[in-house]
Amino acid sequence: MVQDRTLSSRLFDIVNSTLLIIIALVTILPFLHVIAGSFTTVTELAQKQFVLFPTVWSLDAYKYIFSTNTIFKALGVSIGVTFFGTLFSMVVTALMAYGLSRKDLDGRNLIMFAVVFTMLFSGGMIPTFLVVKSMGLIDSYGALIIPSAINAFNLIIMRNFFQNLPEGLEESAKIDGAGDWKILFRIVIPLSMPAIATISLFYAVTYWNTYMQAILYMNDADKWPIQVILRQIVILASGLAADTSGMEDFVRPPEQTVKMAVIVVATLPILCVYPFLQKHFAKGALLGSIKG
Amino acid sequence: MSETVIKAAPNPETKKKSQESGLLKRMIKNRSIYFMILPGLLYFVIFKYIPMSGLVIAFQNYQPYLGIMGSPWVGLEHFQRLFSEPLFFNILSNTLILFFINLLFYFPVPIILALMLNEVRINFFKRFVQTLVYVPHFMSWVIIVSITFVMLSMDRGIINELFVMMGFEKINFLMSTEWFRPMYVLQVIWREAGWGTIIYLAAMAAIDPGLYEASRIDGASRMRQIWHITLPSIRSVIVVLLILKIGDVLELGFEHIYLLLNSMNREVAEIFDTYVYTAGLKQGQFSFSTAVGFFKSVIGLILVMLANWLSKKAGEEGIY
Amino acid sequence: MKKTKAGSILAVVTAFTLLAGCGGNEAGGTTGGSNGGSGSEKPAQAAETNKPTKISIMANLHTAEVPSDMIEKMIEEKTNTELDIQWVPDGTYDEKVNASFATGTLPQVTYLKNAASLINMRDAIRNEQFWEVGHLLKDYPNLNRLKPEVLKNTAVDGKIYAVYREVPLSRQGMIYRKDWADKLGIKSPTTVDEFYDMLKQFKEKDPDGNGKDDTMGLTDRSDLVYGAFKTVSSWFGTPNNWGEQDGKLMPEFMFPEYMDTMKFFQKLHKEGLINQDFPVTSKTDQQNLFTTGKAGVYIGSMADVSSLEPKVLEVNADAVLDVQNKVVNGSAEYGVWSVPGYGSVTLFPKSAIKNEEELKGVLSFMDQLMSTEIGNLMYWGVEGQHHQMEEGKVVPSTDTKLTDREVKPYQAMQVGGPLTIEGFLEPKHLSPVKAKAEEMIVENNDYLIEDPTAPLESVTFNQKGVQLQEMIKDATYNFMLGKLDDAGFQAAVDNWLSSGGQQIIDEYNQAKQAQ
Repeated sequence: MVQDRTLSSRLFDIVNSTLLIIIALVTILPFLHVIAGSFTTVTELAQKQFVLFPTVWSLDAYKYIFSTNTIFKALGVSIGVTFFGTLFSMVVTALMAYGLSRKDLDGRNLIMFAVVFTMLFSGGMIPTFLVVKSMGLIDSYGALIIPSAINAFNLIIMRNFFQNLPEGLEESAKIDGAGDWKILFRIVIPLSMPAIATISLFYAVTYWNTYMQAILYMNDADKWPIQVILRQIVILASGLAADTSGMEDFVRPPEQTVKMAVIVVATLPILCVYPFLQKHFAKGALLGSIKG
Repeated sequence: MSETVIKAAPNPETKKKSQESGLLKRMIKNRSIYFMILPGLLYFVIFKYIPMSGLVIAFQNYQPYLGIMGSPWVGLEHFQRLFSEPLFFNILSNTLILFFINLLFYFPVPIILALMLNEVRINFFKRFVQTLVYVPHFMSWVIIVSITFVMLSMDRGIINELFVMMGFEKINFLMSTEWFRPMYVLQVIWREAGWGTIIYLAAMAAIDPGLYEASRIDGASRMRQIWHITLPSIRSVIVVLLILKIGDVLELGFEHIYLLLNSMNREVAEIFDTYVYTAGLKQGQFSFSTAVGFFKSVIGLILVMLANWLSKKAGEEGIY
Repeated sequence: MKKTKAGSILAVVTAFTLLAGCGGNEAGGTTGGSNGGSGSEKPAQAAETNKPTKISIMANLHTAEVPSDMIEKMIEEKTNTELDIQWVPDGTYDEKVNASFATGTLPQVTYLKNAASLINMRDAIRNEQFWEVGHLLKDYPNLNRLKPEVLKNTAVDGKIYAVYREVPLSRQGMIYRKDWADKLGIKSPTTVDEFYDMLKQFKEKDPDGNGKDDTMGLTDRSDLVYGAFKTVSSWFGTPNNWGEQDGKLMPEFMFPEYMDTMKFFQKLHKEGLINQDFPVTSKTDQQNLFTTGKAGVYIGSMADVSSLEPKVLEVNADAVLDVQNKVVNGSAEYGVWSVPGYGSVTLFPKSAIKNEEELKGVLSFMDQLMSTEIGNLMYWGVEGQHHQMEEGKVVPSTDTKLTDREVKPYQAMQVGGPLTIEGFLEPKHLSPVKAKAEEMIVENNDYLIEDPTAPLESVTFNQKGVQLQEMIKDATYNFMLGKLDDAGFQAAVDNWLSSGGQQIIDEYNQAKQAQ
């Protein structure tokens, strides 16, 4: 590679890096506050309000949330749903996106319009509930996956990536006698790893954040994913629950430190997904995959 | 490129027959492609189009125990109620203003941030920053709004304490009509900008490094490279995202705004979703809420179709 | 190359078989699933007396986690039932109830969150979606003890469809820093003027003695009802939501006392005696100001003292708290607003309970929940584990983690309460101020200001009462912050009247006449 060592280029690097460091700091500070808050005492958090480095350290919050297996169970459910859900969604989405990226497909514009239409119009919670119920999905993990198998946005983005692949590759494969399935799995998918990584990440995060479906479709609390526990604790601890049922006398809300600890526990696993996918976003990743 | 696109352009009668048999032929030839999109199609039919029948309750006085079949029809009554609402134009203008602020100040940020990240040459540093800026996306609005409150509060907020130390007046950020919009968009940027870069970075990963090399030999500056190579390469992604964003014109994130909304900023902060929440759901009025949703969807649809048409006019692919 | 091709095809085929397989299983599961959910097999089993009766329940979860099934097992054993309890997180309870209702999947015993949820169900109740139970209650010794005047507040068209969980009628009062008051020589306030004076001194006389101007009087939150506002409005003599003026029902905000209360708060805000952000402060932040020694007075439920006291002591071991309820304006009589006497109510959906025979079985279970033994078990847990007995009174375990997980959630399923459950155990309060707070809560019962519209109904209110109330709420806050003057507030009231408020007034007055 030709090295670019001009003065203006170096200046550019310095300004760019400095700005990025500032941006990174600004974005991460509140999360540091959450982490620090989870490792300190209730009193310190109440007095200081914004803590970045605790003066009093305490593991009480973590001891509290890990003293039963609820959190572990919920994490297990979330990890399972995220893993299998992402896998399932990727298969269905990639197939459909590839099909719709083919310019020789009749009716593809109509189908795309129908897809976009679902992004704008939705029948709402109750009719969907009825469909899920009639399929017998209530209280099965499938209820958290199948009704959200394809996200129209992800489908459109994926199709856009497929469409932007160099057309010649497909053409020459066809001349070589490759069938559609072969073209998809041997050429299109390997060439689209950045897109596959991106959309996988989007799906993974969506499944990780599953909340309302779990409330509606999972009557059995043992099958709740982590977000249900997280939201319950955040809402109670933030004092957002209404005072209208006269329960507040009996039940103390969870402490602020517990809230912070649950946020940390519920966020770290999904944060770890990104670094694994990052290599696909490197400059020239696509070229690498063609050569390899 | 355009010659391969098959368009059902108006054809004379004579040509039609041969075209139809051509269509059949092509469909048989492409049967594996149809097989590929079949599971997806089924999904959209079962989980999107069948439940869409629920939209008819916008034209009924829906009662859960009577069901969709049994609830009485009222025609456009709920729409009339919406349009005759004294606050209708206030809410509409609030929503539109927030949308334009969002479009103007938020939409370009992930693009700029992605371009900046793309220019970083030290791989470790790039990944590190990338990971950090994407963290806020995982914090719920409840947390973000409560942290903002702690910082901006008049009572003990860090920002206002700083102002006092520097000899300024305290600013009532949380309960003012002037600060609501900047606060809203800054929070959106803070939470979503890093996350938004991912799509663009993926698109940039597909750019042939040879292009940069060639332009460098020509002596192009870094800014020129960004302008002439990177941006054009991600243009189609930007266009698609822009069209989709425009379709979301009336969707501004209910939870976020609901948490920021209070009696003092309502005149600028009330949007359709928050209005429906107090007017509708809190009082169990399914039909009215659905009607408002329907109205929002129609506006979104019109704008998406317009944007898609414009993008095709401008020589882009569009979405459909 | 060939191998991978075969591999990839295999992968796709597997995916499809999986898909197809899933679909098949689910289709097969449908019939079993829906039967189990509605509990329709139940009547058949009732014939065999020894077999436990199946009861399905939906209840509101107020704690971080679903409880362990220890107490559930004990209840099952004592009542010879098999319970299927669906816990639903508090934040989304109403949504879940609505969705279950619309899809016909409500369980046999459905708890409704609060009075507002019950109002939303009125139309459905009127359309016979739930069993009427009023005429049956007398057949059950414990349910028969439920108070008729409270049941009347839950009635629809005079018929009773629900049993209720009791809540204290009025816990309202103030909690304040007695150590600060003693230091400044202030006695417990009994008039609004004395109260104002206390707030002023708490702000200005450096009650914590740290030499800094960092204290305030009152800490309040963004809640006009359960925060300070409504209680202070009672001190001024404002009616509770609605009051009578020349024999006619009028909303509280059309009374001069409401205006006086707003002006009082306006003064507090202007002089910095109350937290400046109170219209947007959360309950957590409000309590933080008190527990960290920034504010000296907290107005709301006096029962909160039990959770506030330990936190205050944690920050300042020398702090002393006290409670006070009777504060009046001038020489007026003391009065305090009250709730209708019930917290959550229980409805019995016809979609889940097929006939009156089955209903009687469910009611007999509800009756047993009100027995001395189970009533106490659900509230206090197991002796020796969750509490100790001293002098015939309960001393709850200090291990709140344990009680939070094993006992507290079941309190949401309580039927009745201390006033209606025979032999309900009384707590022994180890903290004197908590004991005093409890005494004052009982004392409040003699000075209640009731909401005269609690048993009445207004169609317009059902339709847009909440939305209309929002106008008044906005105007009230803006007035207190000085952004609205008397005329501006009057304009908001006029707007309320013309947007449907006048109809609400007329409908309530008609309903009252009809009684």
